[in-house]
Amino acid sequence: MIRLSNLSKSFGEMHAVRSLDLDIEAGQFFSLLGPSGCGKTTTLRMIGGFEKPSAGVILLGGKDVTYEPPNKRDVNTVFQSYALFDHLSVWDNVAFGLRRKGVAKAEITQRVGATLEMVQLGELGTRKPRTLSGGQRQRVALARALVNRPRVLLLDEPLAALDLKLRRQMQIELKQIQREVGITFIFVTHDQDEALTMSDRVAVMNNGVVEQCGTPEDVYERPATRFVASFMGTSNLMPGVYADGAVTLDGGLTVNVGQRSFADGTAVSLSVRPEKIWLSDFEDGMTRVRGTVRETVYSGPTTTYLIDLVPGVRVAVLEQNTARSRNEDRWAGGETVDLGWRTADCLVLS
Amino acid sequence: MRKPRTAFAFTVLFFVLLYLPVAVVVLFSFNSQKSLTVYEGFSLRWYEAFFADEALIESLGMSLRVSLVAMVGSLVLGVALALGLVRARGKLGLYAGFIMLVPLITPEIVTGVASLLLFKGLGIPLSTMTVMIAEITFSISYVTVILRSRVAALNREVEEAAIDLGATRWQALLLVTLPALLPSILASGVLIFALVFDDFVLAFFTTGVTPQPLSVRIYSAIRFGIQPTINAVGTLMLLGSIALIGLALLIPRFFGRRGGLSILSGE
Amino acid sequence: MRKRVSLWSWLLLPGTVWMSIFFITSLLLVTALSFGTTDDLGTPHFGNSLSNWAEVFAPVYRTVILRSLGYAFITAVLCLLIAYPVAYAIARHGGRWKNALIAAIVVPFFANYLVRMYGWAVVLSDEGPLLGLARKLGAPDDWRILHTGFGVIAGLVYGFVVFMILPLYAAMERMDSAVIEAGRDLYGGPLRTFLFVTVPATRQGALAGLVLVFLPAMGDFVSAQFLGGPDQIMIGNLIQSKFFDGQNWPLGSALTMLLMIVLLIAMAGYLRRARKDEQEAWQ
Ligand SMILES: Nc1ncnc2c1ncn2[C@@H]1O[C@H](COP(=O)(O)OP(=O)(O)OP(=O)(O)O)[C@@H](O)[C@H]1O
Ligand SMILES: [Mg+2]
Repeated sequence: MIRLSNLSKSFGEMHAVRSLDLDIEAGQFFSLLGPSGCGKTTTLRMIGGFEKPSAGVILLGGKDVTYEPPNKRDVNTVFQSYALFDHLSVWDNVAFGLRRKGVAKAEITQRVGATLEMVQLGELGTRKPRTLSGGQRQRVALARALVNRPRVLLLDEPLAALDLKLRRQMQIELKQIQREVGITFIFVTHDQDEALTMSDRVAVMNNGVVEQCGTPEDVYERPATRFVASFMGTSNLMPGVYADGAVTLDGGLTVNVGQRSFADGTAVSLSVRPEKIWLSDFEDGMTRVRGTVRETVYSGPTTTYLIDLVPGVRVAVLEQNTARSRNEDRWAGGETVDLGWRTADCLVLS
Repeated sequence: MRKPRTAFAFTVLFFVLLYLPVAVVVLFSFNSQKSLTVYEGFSLRWYEAFFADEALIESLGMSLRVSLVAMVGSLVLGVALALGLVRARGKLGLYAGFIMLVPLITPEIVTGVASLLLFKGLGIPLSTMTVMIAEITFSISYVTVILRSRVAALNREVEEAAIDLGATRWQALLLVTLPALLPSILASGVLIFALVFDDFVLAFFTTGVTPQPLSVRIYSAIRFGIQPTINAVGTLMLLGSIALIGLALLIPRFFGRRGGLSILSGE
Repeated sequence: MRKRVSLWSWLLLPGTVWMSIFFITSLLLVTALSFGTTDDLGTPHFGNSLSNWAEVFAPVYRTVILRSLGYAFITAVLCLLIAYPVAYAIARHGGRWKNALIAAIVVPFFANYLVRMYGWAVVLSDEGPLLGLARKLGAPDDWRILHTGFGVIAGLVYGFVVFMILPLYAAMERMDSAVIEAGRDLYGGPLRTFLFVTVPATRQGALAGLVLVFLPAMGDFVSAQFLGGPDQIMIGNLIQSKFFDGQNWPLGSALTMLLMIVLLIAMAGYLRRARKDEQEAWQ
């Protein structure tokens, strides 16, 4: 559907995007995830036609559109600032694209009406954008792009300006709408939760390069690089040296990780996700270590413990506060605990 | 905070002196006698005299026409310039930016002399049209200065959104950018109208013999002995200016934005 | 994206061409004619004579030019002295009337300049209210304002003081009131706070105001005509008379260019100063 090959963009000395290769299939909800300034917007703008690549090719449905202007591409954008036309009513905003394409009046009426219904703005057609709330403006921007039924919809942090609650709600809605219309969405975000919950596939970017591209599970459970591991939530990165199926941590502790394809003596980072560490009811064959609880952080459904394995090696451990767990069972600071994890849950990253 | 009494008293005095000359003109425009120092009683005779004076009415008409043409002309050229100055790159942009600054530091008398020489040099006889051309030239910089910052403050994504939705660049300009600038354009238009209508120096250097703009007629009248009709004209012009300034301040509100004085102080 | 560049350049073109013809060319014409001559009928001709420039510096004209500089300079300083307390009172103590008060200052400015000057002349005249009041308070009968240098300067101040108040007011508005409060703690009295805190913080606005007043005051000829006498004429009056009464256009052109040069020098000085201020502000 969309293929970016060797795509690069430099602003003078600044290399915003460096030889990017991506394949995005039709009908996917595809996320570009990365920290601020990593080149997400620049990538999106090149796909939309607002920025001319310094090098590389953009194929849209097999056709080279690298140097086509935005109005010649079957792609529409939902801008980070929404970019609504303030002097036009909501209805006219949404009808703008269809009018430019010379669609028949009756069809415009029908399509605009239906799209406004879909984003639950049926009542607000006559209002001016300035009089709407943030969430409503967001929906107008979405409707204005969707009504054109593009092959690809580009969304640049469309939810960033909304408060948390509205944001969660819009995430679900956006996903529903995407399923309904079946359009390929390319969704830019710097929020890893958002990317994980919404996407079919996620590309994690850093410094203008894609570090990893895969399903949400792939990038979370099997991060390919240290950057991906640390960017996707807490990852308990512990530096050490690999040798013969075990990692010796800097604090002296040796942890069995099973045979990996590293040469002996390679400096690596060991990573175990907080929720993959057990504090009780251990299974046979688990890696077991002992540690001292330093901090207990209660946050509703979960409790996080910060535990020192050896001086200088601290891990976070996440426990669910289920109906069966009781207050007095929680560990307190200073107590000594046993920790265990499955060897398979150990990540060894170079 | 303690109030600085001296500054307050001074400010009051300032306002008194600021309004005294205007008040004198307004007051004596209703004087029943010719005197400018003794108020003899209320009368509208100077207003009647003004409206009966065909030459003055003709001048009024000319001033209105000149202001209107200068407003439209300088808006068309100035809006285009403001857009170009903010967005164009390259030598032309630099040159245009430079020649937009020169008029701002050129006193009107220099512009007046220069325009006069140019028209004479080109063999264009002085007339209403030469006044119009000179006033447009003088107004373009104002329009450009006021609108330049507004253009720079525009969200580029809005224009990109229009193009994204299938508009050409020109369509995006006409359908999205200009409407977004409309309040500022109208407000600066009203301002230009008021400035040109009141302008004297340029008009003085570039007008033909008949008709003459109202301000030039006022100048001759004051220079060759005071006629109380001028008080009436002055009062009417003051009312007109106040109305226009009010309009310029209110225009942004018609568009649901915060109005303000910023447009008057400009840069 | 090459297309976009050309769209914006196209937009620049008409205005640039217009200004090049009607403004730049006309200024060049003035420059050229300042080296010209007149024949016996007073018709101007282009040439390469320096006689106009020599004449411009003759004592008669030199006096006028120096006087104009003096008047414009005094006007700018007076405007500054007037504007500071007024802008200060409005900006710091105007409360919700701030905007209305500033508007009240701007409104008379939009009355016709000639009519204002003429009203001012009436106020300052021998039979006017100001001198009448002064005489009642015991001033000698032969006090005059009109037809004196003071009258001309009063006219210039009245004409252009608004150009000083607006930038000063804007600068004071931008000032953080916490800074003033801190100044109170440091320096004590309001006057000292004003001198040591407000004045330095608004220096850029004051500088801009000085230029904005000086430029038009230097080129003005209405104030000298309405409020001054033959001994108070300014360079603007000279230029005007060379073009309308004396019909010596080349000399008038030289005077015009001289005026322009003086103002350009003043402007260059201002820009250097402003840039220096800016650099200091960064350090
Ligand atoms: N027009 C430009 N000129 C110069 N540098 C630019 C330009 N646009 C982007 N950059 C630079 O390119 C880099 C990538 O910018 P980009 O906007 O793509 O980041 P982003 O991933 O979208 O970040 P954010 O999450 O903050 O929006 C940044 O360092 C930015 O400063
Ligand atoms: Mg971005």
